[in-house]
Amino acid sequence: MSDRLQYITLISSLPHIGRLFSEHGTGISRYRLDERLTLLESEHARLLDRVVSITAWSSVSKIDTDAEVIALARSVIGDLDLYPDIQNLVRSRMETRTLIAALRRRREGAREAGDISAWGFGRWCRSIRDNWSDPGFGLSQIMPWVAEADRLMKAGDHVAVERLVLTDVFRQIGRHSAGHEFDFTAVVAYVLRWIIVERWSVYGTAKAAERLRSLLADALKSAPPPFAVVPDPESALQQEVHP
Amino acid sequence: MNEFVMALGWLGLYAPVALGAIGSCIGCGIGGSAAIGAMLDTESGHGRFIGVSLMPSSQVIYGIVIMFSLQRDQMTAEAAGAIFGIGLLAGVAMLYAGIRQGEAIASAINASKAKPEIFGISLAPAAVLEGFAVFALVFALVLSGSIPA
Repeated sequence: MSDRLQYITLISSLPHIGRLFSEHGTGISRYRLDERLTLLESEHARLLDRVVSITAWSSVSKIDTDAEVIALARSVIGDLDLYPDIQNLVRSRMETRTLIAALRRRREGAREAGDISAWGFGRWCRSIRDNWSDPGFGLSQIMPWVAEADRLMKAGDHVAVERLVLTDVFRQIGRHSAGHEFDFTAVVAYVLRWIIVERWSVYGTAKAAERLRSLLADALKSAPPPFAVVPDPESALQQEVHP
Repeated sequence: MNEFVMALGWLGLYAPVALGAIGSCIGCGIGGSAAIGAMLDTESGHGRFIGVSLMPSSQVIYGIVIMFSLQRDQMTAEAAGAIFGIGLLAGVAMLYAGIRQGEAIASAINASKAKPEIFGISLAPAAVLEGFAVFALVFALVLSGSIPA
């Protein structure tokens, strides 16, 4: 099967990923997705793994230092020279991650950005350093979500921050994969979207489990002690006979 | 010189069939690949996916009709130039329409998998492309009537 037809079959075999935060879910399990992705050529499978290694939080969290993350991002971008749109996508994700890191550092009390080249990546490093005291790091005109994330972070609403960031990342993927319908870039965009939706659905499950636990705890608190209300069978019978 | 013009005439005579067949092959291949992928993801509607993926096969049929309309009892130098021009250009039109129709069908199958209610309307671009191929067919037939016998 030629490359083109192979990608048409692969993309058509993947279920539509609905809107983020909808009840639709991922539409396909990880097992099934991995099974479908075996249609990828070995080189494309390797590149996809590399892109996921730098964009998915579950992979990045295993890396010890910021410098290692930045070095990995540069190496992945260098590997993708045939796919400029995926390169731009990885760059955008790293820039978003830099903005989130800056917001966290500032919330933790950092008075200035410090050596931003050691922990930051991309176009916004200079703006972050020069506008450290500005809620949106001087980027509010082009990225209003940064100031909004700052406000939510200060209010301690971490779920809303996560929601805001994931929404922006979802948009980024759509922007960089526009015009790619049946090719490798489209597959990468699909997998990255799937990872985000799956991550959010796991949050949803964890949140639901926590809520259930708290409801059960409340119910058990207000419940009578065991056997306290079980009437004596004989007195119950007498009550029925002589009400 | 005469032989060269005659050769061009024969080339033009067979071009609609050959180019139409290539367009149909590529178009059906693209549409068929999308249909096969969609069958992996859906539990029903497989027949309509396969059925619609065969839409580009009409290009080769149009090519055959054009070939018969251009055919003369004998290839002459007077007719060869016209047969070459009409046949080759009609063939290129069939080839291009077949490929693009396959792509439009692949997109339609992929989109209607997520939203089955748009299946009919999503085929509109492929139907419009079919219309353009029909224009090429009809006007090739009209012009073939003015080629000297």
